[in-house]
Amino acid sequence: MSWLPIALVGVPLLGALVATVPAVRDRAVAWGIAVSAGVLVLAVALAAAFEYARPADMQLQSDRPWIPGLGLRFHLGVDGVSLPLVVLTALLTFLCFVHLAGHPPEGGRPGALVVTLLVLEVGMIGTFLALDLLLFFVFFEVVLVPMYFVIALWGGAARRAAAVKFILYTLLGSAVLLIGLLVVWTQAGTLDMVALAGRHGSGMARSAQILAFLAIGLGLAVKTPMWPLHTWLPDAHTEAPTVGSVLLAGVLLKMGSYGFARIAIPVLPEGAAALAPWLGAFAVAGIAYGSLACLAQRDLKRMIAYSSVGHMGFVLLGFASLTPVGLNGALFANVAHGLITGLLFFLAGAVKERYGTADMVRLGGGMLRRLPYVASLLTFACVASLGLPGLAGFWGEMLALLGAFRPVAGLSRPLFLVFMAVGGLGAVLTAAYFLAMLSRVTHGRAVETVPLAGPLEPPEPDEPSGLYEPPGPLATAEGVREVLSEAGEAAKPVEPVAADAGQTGGQTGKARRPFRDVTAHELAAWLPLVALIVLFGLWPKALLAVTTPAVQSLLGSGVAP
Amino acid sequence: MHVVYPVVVSALLFSIGVYGVLARRNAILVLMSVELMLNAVNLNLVAFDVWLGDRLHGGQVLTLFVIVIAAAEVGLGLAIVLAVFRTRRTVDVDRLRALAEVVRTPEPGRPDGEGAS
Amino acid sequence: MTAVVALIVLLPFAAAVAGLLATRLGTRDVRAEDVRTRGVGARDARTADVGARAERAAYRRAAWFAIVPGTVSAALTVWLAAALARGTPATDGRFWAELLPGRTEGTLTVVETGSVPISLTLRADGLSVLAGILVVVVALAVQVYSVGYMRDEPRYPSYSAFVSLFTSAMLLVVYAGDLIVLYAGWEIMGLCSYLLIGHWWEDRANSRAAVKAFLVTRLGDVGFLFGIFVLGLSAGSFRIDDVLRADLPRGTLVAATLLLLAGVAGKSAQVPLQTWLPDAMAGPTPISALIHAATMVAAGIFVVARLYPAFLAAPPTLDVLGVVAAVGMLGAALAALAQDDLKRVLAYSTISQLAYMAAALAAGSDRAAMFHLVSHGAFKALLFLCAGLVIHHVGSNLISHMGGLRTALPVTFWTMTIGFAALAGLPPASGFFSKDAVLSAVEHGTGPAQPLVYASALLTVGVTGAYAARAWLRTFFGPARIEPLPEPPPGVAHVFDGREAPPSMLWPAGVLAVPALLLGLAGWAAGVQVEWGPAAASLAVALLGAGIVYALWRAAPEQDPARLLGPFRAPCERAFYVDAAYAALVTRPVLRLARGVVRTDARVVDGAVRGSGRATLGLSGLVRLAQNGNAQLYVTGLLAGLVLIAVAAVVLT
Repeated sequence: MSWLPIALVGVPLLGALVATVPAVRDRAVAWGIAVSAGVLVLAVALAAAFEYARPADMQLQSDRPWIPGLGLRFHLGVDGVSLPLVVLTALLTFLCFVHLAGHPPEGGRPGALVVTLLVLEVGMIGTFLALDLLLFFVFFEVVLVPMYFVIALWGGAARRAAAVKFILYTLLGSAVLLIGLLVVWTQAGTLDMVALAGRHGSGMARSAQILAFLAIGLGLAVKTPMWPLHTWLPDAHTEAPTVGSVLLAGVLLKMGSYGFARIAIPVLPEGAAALAPWLGAFAVAGIAYGSLACLAQRDLKRMIAYSSVGHMGFVLLGFASLTPVGLNGALFANVAHGLITGLLFFLAGAVKERYGTADMVRLGGGMLRRLPYVASLLTFACVASLGLPGLAGFWGEMLALLGAFRPVAGLSRPLFLVFMAVGGLGAVLTAAYFLAMLSRVTHGRAVETVPLAGPLEPPEPDEPSGLYEPPGPLATAEGVREVLSEAGEAAKPVEPVAADAGQTGGQTGKARRPFRDVTAHELAAWLPLVALIVLFGLWPKALLAVTTPAVQSLLGSGVAP
Repeated sequence: MHVVYPVVVSALLFSIGVYGVLARRNAILVLMSVELMLNAVNLNLVAFDVWLGDRLHGGQVLTLFVIVIAAAEVGLGLAIVLAVFRTRRTVDVDRLRALAEVVRTPEPGRPDGEGAS
Repeated sequence: MTAVVALIVLLPFAAAVAGLLATRLGTRDVRAEDVRTRGVGARDARTADVGARAERAAYRRAAWFAIVPGTVSAALTVWLAAALARGTPATDGRFWAELLPGRTEGTLTVVETGSVPISLTLRADGLSVLAGILVVVVALAVQVYSVGYMRDEPRYPSYSAFVSLFTSAMLLVVYAGDLIVLYAGWEIMGLCSYLLIGHWWEDRANSRAAVKAFLVTRLGDVGFLFGIFVLGLSAGSFRIDDVLRADLPRGTLVAATLLLLAGVAGKSAQVPLQTWLPDAMAGPTPISALIHAATMVAAGIFVVARLYPAFLAAPPTLDVLGVVAAVGMLGAALAALAQDDLKRVLAYSTISQLAYMAAALAAGSDRAAMFHLVSHGAFKALLFLCAGLVIHHVGSNLISHMGGLRTALPVTFWTMTIGFAALAGLPPASGFFSKDAVLSAVEHGTGPAQPLVYASALLTVGVTGAYAARAWLRTFFGPARIEPLPEPPPGVAHVFDGREAPPSMLWPAGVLAVPALLLGLAGWAAGVQVEWGPAAASLAVALLGAGIVYALWRAAPEQDPARLLGPFRAPCERAFYVDAAYAALVTRPVLRLARGVVRTDARVVDGAVRGSGRATLGLSGLVRLAQNGNAQLYVTGLLAGLVLIAVAAVVLT
């Protein structure tokens, strides 16, 4: 019995409640940083208290009756599979708050955003800690509502449609997931993940397992997202604010793939074995399709969103191989993708903030000249994302392909060899679109075709920037008043791209002022990610030592490498 | 007298009532058809009361009950019909489409007021 | 001793990290301090001056970061070679066993993957030290040369850091004891190549060349990675020793080596993945010397030599390699003959010379291949550095802009003459001995493709003599064609006013000229056999090629001797339209496919999603039709339902 997991879920929840108090709301972002830093400290404490000698066992558990009438328990705990994801979630949320401190949301109302993000953190961490299927589902759903508001209130121009698409799509997936979980419950008679995983599917009929895997897999595949259930993702990413995109790509997608590792594969091994070829086929289709789609994108954020489809394809391919090395690769790719794509979205957000657009054609080129640090970091993140050895992105993809090279006995080897070959070509295409993007955006001569966007980031980072957009239709009169009072004299609503040079000159006193390169807040938010990407790239053992025994126990001893 | 005679009469009466409710266009005639159906039920109640020899005469009690309800209903119904006639100058049920999802052919020159609420 | 190996690899890496992170750390403080002491008022006026001084400070510091670790690495490599020379002879009897018999290997840690573990292993033996010396010497020469070449270049710190990183990656390949570690170095080299070719990224063409280099090599690398999978999983270990010791079935070996060959072809610019190398000349000239002549392209040949027992056990792969080499060496040599860009001449000659090494490997002689690799590394680096001196002086890459430079650039003339002599295989330069070793290996080869390879190799000797003579004559002799050029835009080599380049650029060239001239004699002294008969024949062929060009040039010094190709000249100049074919067959279809995918995504995949929404709305519209406001219709429906239920109740009970 340990209090750490409960504190990890409870602290952000309490923080969110306190943040609604008007006195705290005035300094909401500082409060958010404090709370998320506390959660990060707790997560690090969790990692420190974790016994690395036996990462396959569930540790630091907290098991209390929840709904005794149904036999549901409030069961939380960590093992080698979930520990990295919990720490990643706490870290990314903290970094989002740090970023928020220097870059107030464009939609105004930072207090509401802080509350929303803290509730989001409750759901995300809870999902990775939950050890009861229904509890998992509850946390899984808790995430949707705050994310909906993040997109719908603080998003870009087409945010309403994107938010509605996001919530309808994922809710539909969750409904199917719930059906699958109920099938497991009726067949196995328990919802406890540890007990279910320990049985390795014994006591469940093969047909029931296939049905349950199909339902659970579909539900998780929407979230992951698996091709062709991915179309909510580009819209959501394109419209979401920077912090929303970072958390969406960095954590929310991981919840789907974590579900595969935690529930679908260990609990339903026969169902997984029957459907693995399909999973693999959809995975490599996603890899090739996502990469090709990236190649022809114009919008930077949309391109990164499609690249997530490709990268999560590698994760799913690793799962489909059903081997320890494949699962290892999938989990590694999961964490690496969270770090790298989180960084990429931070950078894309920074670019969009400065140029007022993320359209690659309008960005022109020569970013290395105009914003040398941002462009260098963008190059770094892209290179990491395309899977260069020595950076985190490589190991996951390599191990997933290695898993596909020799899938578990019983799966068709030639089929998986084809999958591996397609995945390898997808890796080339991944390099192609990232390099093409870098060549387009960072290379070349800077062309002054882009109208400077609105007032640039003021030199004083604590000073809130102007309100660029009229408040969204959901905004209440109170909200409008709040925003206006915060924005001060810069409150005149201005469309980002429509801001002409005269207005800019009036704001800054100098027309055609050079772009401001990285701010201190941005650096503080980005450098930890850069450091971790390099660390995991150079020392993959840091992660693999934790996950390898865990995946071996999840797959059961009967599975030979 | 065998019970079948009053039952057949009542069935005929009820069918005429059903036909009237479904097919007549004049609201007053629809109300009268409803009365026919109620009376068919009354006839049934009385007939079965006698045939079964119920000591408590539940059938006859219920008949009185129905008659009272019917009187109230006719009073209310006629009042509504009168009100509709006053506002719309018609009691043709086919033309009273205020319940429709979208009023396709509203009365010319008449705002569609009371039906929507 | 493994610690020394690790140091050799890590020192350039540390230099790269320091160069990227630390060159401007202090200089910014200097700038801030300066501004503070001079007061705020003078700030604007002095910022430019202070900025320039900060730039110079960063430049100096970056130069130190680049050169000192490289020197230490080189010294350690020499020490390592000496230590290995004292070692006890190994029993496996590879060709370096007599010279450098020792070996050392150390494993830092073993990474469990759930399948075959990855061991972070470094190893050093004769082969790796041989290649390692080449790498550190050429890298050091290039770093020193770059200090002069990249003067006034604002991005020199990142440039030198990338060169250091590249050196480190190449050394990792050379000293890797595990295939995955080797692959890591292999890929990082690709990245550095991308960053350095695209160093002058203001020009879109350079950027495109950089992307092309990375993508083409990466395409091969995917095959390489799969080849590693095949070897590693069959042998149960990724350690090179275990892989070579494992008794693998022949089919597995053939599959694995063919897959590895894809990566080799990519990195060593062999047919059919050779197209990136000529374009890679968009990078600064020292980079061409380092990457595209002496080291990175040699990595492919080195890996084949490293895994040579596996290749020897798979004769079909060697046959494929032989055919590839035969096609590549002649084609590239012909293309070199028709180029007008001096660097492209050298680039195609690199492809051709690498094909020689591949041919030697295909014929079964890794000794000849490695010999030629080392001597080629020396003389090609020399040639590129000299080409850089010439280009610096002339301000243009084009041979047609050069001429008569013999008097203006005496040092460059003599060093480059040595380089061209080695390239053409004239005694006593190193190329004569190493090329002879390759030719005799090919002559004694037994594979079915060997006659073809030998014929191609002999022909290529003649063509090599021809293009070497053409480039030499048109650069240094004949009328001077230098025209005063306008100040070049940034991204183009800077034109010096002086006659010769500064000593920091001349010295590396001079130092490299020594091995280019003497390495062959040293090899001969160390025991490489020379078959004088065939050697004389090949010398005669080379002289014949050179003689024809000389005769043509004598007849009309103004005209390009490449006219001897006649109507064949245009295809040679365009390298037989391979680029155009790839653009038509691969690039454009892929881009078309990408656009198709985006359209499909919007219309079909997302269309299905949006369509399901619309379908639901449409369906509800249908149901809504029933609600037409006629209460009688509703009652009729009620009655119908009642009747239905009644009938059902009667029928079902």
